[in-house]
Amino acid sequence: MTNLIDPVAEIDEARAADVVIGKGRIIFRRFMRNKTAVAGLAIFLVLFAFSLFGGFLTTWDKETIDPLNIGMGPSPEHLLGTSQAGIDLLALVVEGTRVSILIGLIVGGLSVLISAVYGCSMAFFGGKVDSVMLFILEALIMMPAILVVAVATSGGGQSLKELPSWLLLIAVLLFFSWMGTARLVRSLAMSLMQRDYVKAAKYMGVPSMRIVRRHLVPNIGSLLVLDFTRGITGAILAEVAFSYIGIGIKLPDVSLGVLIGGATGQVSSFPWMFWVPLTVMFLLTGSLAMMNDGLRDAFDPSSTSIGRASTKKKTK
Amino acid sequence: MSSDITTQPSVVERQPADRLRDAGLYAPGDAVLSVRDLNVRFNSENGVVHAVRGVDFDLMAGKTLGIVGESGSGKSVTSMAIMGLLPETADISGSVRFKGKELLGLGDKAMCRHRGSHIAMVFQDPLSSLTPVYTVGHQIIEALTVHNPGMSSRAKEARAVELLAMVGIPSPQARLKSFPHEFSGGMRQRVMIAIAIANDPRVLIADEPTTALDVTIQAQVLEVLHAAQEETGAAVVMITHDLGVVAGMADDIMVMYAGKPVETGTVEDIYYRPRMPYTLGLLGAVPRVDTSQKSSLVPIEGTPPNLINAVTGCSFAARCPLASDECRTAEPALLAVDGGTGGHRAACIKSGTLDGVDAHRIFHAPPVPVSKFDGVSRDGRATVLELKDVKKYFPLLKGSLFKRRIGTVKAVDGLSFDIREGECLSIVGESGCGKTTTLLEIMEFHPDQDGEVVIGGVSNKAATDGKTKQAMRKEMQMVFQDPTGALDPRFTVYEVLAEPLENLGMPKDAIRKRIMELMRLVGLQPDHVNRFPNQFSGGQRQRIGIARALAVNPKLVVLDEPVSALDVSVQAGVINLLDQLRAELGLSYLMVAHDLSVVRHISNRVAVMYLGKIVEMGDVDQVFDNPRHPYTRALLSAIPVPDPELERTRERIILQGDLPSPLDAPQGCNFATRCPVFAALPREKRDKCLTLEPALAAEEAQQFACFFPDGEIDADMLVVHA
Amino acid sequence: MLRYLGKRALIYVVMIFLTTSAGYFLAVSSLKPALLEQEKIPRPTPEQVANSFRLLGLDPNLNPWERYVQWLGGILTRWDWGRSPNGAYVNAEFADRVMISTRLFLASIILTLIIGVALGVYSAARQYKFQDRAITSYSYLVHILPAPIAYFLVQLGAIGVNDAVGERIFFVTGISTPGIEPGWPAFVDLVAHYAVPTFAMTVFGWAGYQIAQRQYLLDNVNADFVRTARAKGLTRNHAITRHALRVSFIPVAQSIAFTIPAIFTGGFFAEAIFAWPGVGLWSIDAIGKQDVNVATAMLAYGSVIFAIGAILADFATTLVDPRVRAQ
Ligand SMILES: Nc1ncnc2c1ncn2[C@@H]1O[C@H](COP(=O)(O)OP(=O)(O)OP(=O)(O)O)[C@@H](O)[C@H]1O
Ligand code: SF4
Ligand code: SF4
Ligand SMILES: [Mg+2]
Repeated sequence: MTNLIDPVAEIDEARAADVVIGKGRIIFRRFMRNKTAVAGLAIFLVLFAFSLFGGFLTTWDKETIDPLNIGMGPSPEHLLGTSQAGIDLLALVVEGTRVSILIGLIVGGLSVLISAVYGCSMAFFGGKVDSVMLFILEALIMMPAILVVAVATSGGGQSLKELPSWLLLIAVLLFFSWMGTARLVRSLAMSLMQRDYVKAAKYMGVPSMRIVRRHLVPNIGSLLVLDFTRGITGAILAEVAFSYIGIGIKLPDVSLGVLIGGATGQVSSFPWMFWVPLTVMFLLTGSLAMMNDGLRDAFDPSSTSIGRASTKKKTK
Repeated sequence: MSSDITTQPSVVERQPADRLRDAGLYAPGDAVLSVRDLNVRFNSENGVVHAVRGVDFDLMAGKTLGIVGESGSGKSVTSMAIMGLLPETADISGSVRFKGKELLGLGDKAMCRHRGSHIAMVFQDPLSSLTPVYTVGHQIIEALTVHNPGMSSRAKEARAVELLAMVGIPSPQARLKSFPHEFSGGMRQRVMIAIAIANDPRVLIADEPTTALDVTIQAQVLEVLHAAQEETGAAVVMITHDLGVVAGMADDIMVMYAGKPVETGTVEDIYYRPRMPYTLGLLGAVPRVDTSQKSSLVPIEGTPPNLINAVTGCSFAARCPLASDECRTAEPALLAVDGGTGGHRAACIKSGTLDGVDAHRIFHAPPVPVSKFDGVSRDGRATVLELKDVKKYFPLLKGSLFKRRIGTVKAVDGLSFDIREGECLSIVGESGCGKTTTLLEIMEFHPDQDGEVVIGGVSNKAATDGKTKQAMRKEMQMVFQDPTGALDPRFTVYEVLAEPLENLGMPKDAIRKRIMELMRLVGLQPDHVNRFPNQFSGGQRQRIGIARALAVNPKLVVLDEPVSALDVSVQAGVINLLDQLRAELGLSYLMVAHDLSVVRHISNRVAVMYLGKIVEMGDVDQVFDNPRHPYTRALLSAIPVPDPELERTRERIILQGDLPSPLDAPQGCNFATRCPVFAALPREKRDKCLTLEPALAAEEAQQFACFFPDGEIDADMLVVHA
Repeated sequence: MLRYLGKRALIYVVMIFLTTSAGYFLAVSSLKPALLEQEKIPRPTPEQVANSFRLLGLDPNLNPWERYVQWLGGILTRWDWGRSPNGAYVNAEFADRVMISTRLFLASIILTLIIGVALGVYSAARQYKFQDRAITSYSYLVHILPAPIAYFLVQLGAIGVNDAVGERIFFVTGISTPGIEPGWPAFVDLVAHYAVPTFAMTVFGWAGYQIAQRQYLLDNVNADFVRTARAKGLTRNHAITRHALRVSFIPVAQSIAFTIPAIFTGGFFAEAIFAWPGVGLWSIDAIGKQDVNVATAMLAYGSVIFAIGAILADFATTLVDPRVRAQ
């Protein structure tokens, strides 16, 4: 076959940067070369800081009603205006952003963890264990998540009522968010176990756990990192969608979805109430999407980006 | 002399435009295809790749031009440029004329009138070259429809059947309705050839048509190509990296290096009187299957130049042992060699001094290494590995939920052999005969295996505790076929080599020392230990793999196709290294390889496998010079040798069909379905082959499993090409 | 082939049973209609509530297992999916609701698939050109837009159009105007009601197919077999449309099953936003009313839809891929 990658070229490039650099550094460098991804990261960090410290931008908090300003547009007193109830919108958006990011991080992080463990176990044990676990996984995929969310958060049950609605939502989203990745992890781990270098380690008598730790985990790691950001986006979107139609987070808890949903009734009369939280949500999901591409490049071991980035100008 | 390559020394110094005009003027009128100053550039991520740099040739009707060169030398790009199949982004200049008509610069539509009707092509990988969702009949008929819109569908079908029959597909009528996945690789390549010759092309380009196939199948396909050429009278361009394949077929040869022809001439010129160091090196780098030459191979150090950088001097200078400053100033032109026929041309300023020189001398081939075991008789050496009746059966299951056993695949069926100290035993056979399974069974080393594996005196039956297993792992290590896949891309070389040592609990200092030692041992620079595998060439990666295997000082190294993924010139270096290591360290090898020339070169003993069983085993020279089993005879006769004279007069046994599916393994002798001796046997003698299973019996030191070892061979299966 | 599909179907039946049972336990333990009754005026005594619920087969005093057995018995013996707290039979309402949802989804499911695949092919053919960038960026944008908000924006747009024209062209909620006379006016009314939700679900639905089809086709345009087809004398475009397209559709066909849950969920949002009284709205209402039996029935319905999608995908795959057909 025609070989499209010129091995010699790769060697030459390697020589140019002969100092041996750690893998973390390489990944970091590759990521930093992707301008879009860096911009995405910056936006995300700004929003994150906003959700933590945005409260200092206003003297109002998310509970105090300002009886003099009910449903007012932006003003020096209330930078983003107030809600129909007369609560400062900035304070609400800060709170909503924090809840959304929290949900995203927790669901994204934990679901990656679950899928890694579940997927690897399937691949590792194989046989009957694998079939049973796969069956469970497919059954869960079959369940209409939205209904379960609705049932679980409808809050009639005594035991569940104790929990705040956002925690409940996290639990349910988590329950339904890991199957896709688990399946990917399983097939990736299975193909990794067939690789010659894993066989080589086995034939050298390296213990199984060490093989998993040294060869499998790092190679699956890049997939997991990617899925982490994707999971965050998914969870944030799901929260907004569910809360919007009233089955996710419920008042008095605040989230971006609750704010957007609550404002739809009067978009024409109070447009800022709708567009401000919507814009924040877009910035949040958009910045994550921008980062995703850069992360994929950075973690791809076959990435040609060492050369590509440095010689980008030359190609047309 | 068919491809009469213009002999105009002055041409080269002129401007390309002049050259083109001249080329048009001087192209012999009867050439079907003339290529002049073909240049191809690609825009790649790293810069402009100048993949083909000035190729000229003329192809005469009915003649065959062989293009040889190592990977990346621009062979495929040349052929695709002729076909107009390069991506639009490729920058192509020069001239390609079909019967005097310029093809370069034609649009896709205009070019389509020539593609498939005047010029046709067969590609390398038959598995992916046919569309999986259409029947082969559909795909052949499509080729007919494109160029004969008026043809009736009846006539097209009839022609398709005729074509399938011509390329040797049994029951062609029925097979029209088969999908590609129902065909084996060899059969698919036959279908590809059928498609290519469907419209009686004048030029047939075959790009490595047999590289992906087994030798026995390669022989069949080459035979079909030969027949197709005779049938259609087409001129053939045969592209290959295997000097043996073209030796018997080609009239002329063009050797390419770094995108440029570096030597051209008749086959005899090239094979017997090479005048360019690269050609010399290539010829010396391939081991021969037909002689027991016990000299080292010619290694060509280094790798081809990067075609992104402009070439200043001779492109081969970096690897040429004769290179001098003069070579680096200007790129040598392809000039007629002194005292040669007019058509023999070489691009080397020292070609005049190379008449009749020995490649071994100029390339400094290492002396044949001497092992301390060389003088000791086989019986006097200790046994390092012994297999006793090892079997591995796989159940063949069907269904997804409720699995049903529909049969048994006997991948390894009762194997017994032993390996002594300092000895190399090779297992050969077609793909699917169970070679790799044998190796894996040995490496598994588990008490529950069927049969006994004894390594360094320890039996697998006794390997119940971790300690015994660990001890055995120290005795035996493995080198893998694909040097890239065998190294974790995230490990540096240091980490790769440290892994087995850490596992033994060696202290850090000792590990560091041992790694430096290993790097030197396999001929790598010790300061490269911090690099990642993808920063090495294929040959270097394989050396890393070997170093890792040697790290724990094993007695036995298992080699699974250790050089098949490497280019010829690189292969020689690795083979020499293996030879040298065996002698110096007193290692034993168990090797699996499909390339019998390599096997003959490295091994002391050879075992021929067919359908999970050893059919012949013995001393390598004995078996190769005097094969007794009909399968061994066929296998050996199928290997092409890089010697045109010999190739043309050699008798070749063409086996019929493919390796039978292990499911319907016949009773009696496994090989009966394809056996040329069986086919020639009188009816009354055949019964014996069909009912009794021949045992592996020893005759002197050579063992074989056949009732009629000296039987006559069916004349139909014998071919000789003049 | 049929055997294979039969086996798949059997597995799915088992799965549906399990997911539905799990759903029932979840619903029974978290939905407490009795609490809602307490808010009624005049306030019934707990005994009255328990009594009336017992008659409906919703006895709050039984433990979940006993209720499960009772409920399952009803389904297995009489195909009776139980009753709502207000006494309505689940079976009776089910058919209507499914009809309404199916009518709403069917057009957009088909349009989504056709448009998505067509745009995927088109953008692959124009790779990196302006059209490709526009189409593909749009698809990525859709990915970060939650469905209900997207539908809401369409709704706003439709209202804007109505306002601009000064006449009610589109209906943005509901399924038909009550009391419309049959014939042509009824048809116009139907279209006016369908247009907006179908449009919304389609334009926000095709992104997945578009990206997948584009990617798979691009993976195949340089495949060896396309090169073979060109070497026969087919033009590049012919080689791609006749050879690469068919092969690249195989994975898209396989992915159909996995878009079913998305369609189901999307349908929920669509019904909520456009106020279509289909299964989605019914479920949300029912859950609001703490209705165990409707919630469980809908869960079962969702699983069945998924299973049908998966079997259809298997079927579609065998149609386009002879390699699977052989088994
Ligand atoms: N489409 C392309 N874009 C960029 N570079 C290319 C392209 N096709 C081929 N090349 C480069 O052109 C050079 C010649 O490649 P070519 O495929 O002709 O080699 P070859 O002699 O056929 O090798 P092999 O024996 O591996 O088939 C290589 O360096 C290759 O990387
Ligand atoms: S020109 Fe010089 S470097 Fe090139 S092949 Fe001849 S001797 Fe070697
Ligand atoms: S035993 Fe018979 S069939 Fe088998 S190899 Fe010998 S001659 Fe052929
Ligand atoms: Mg090639």
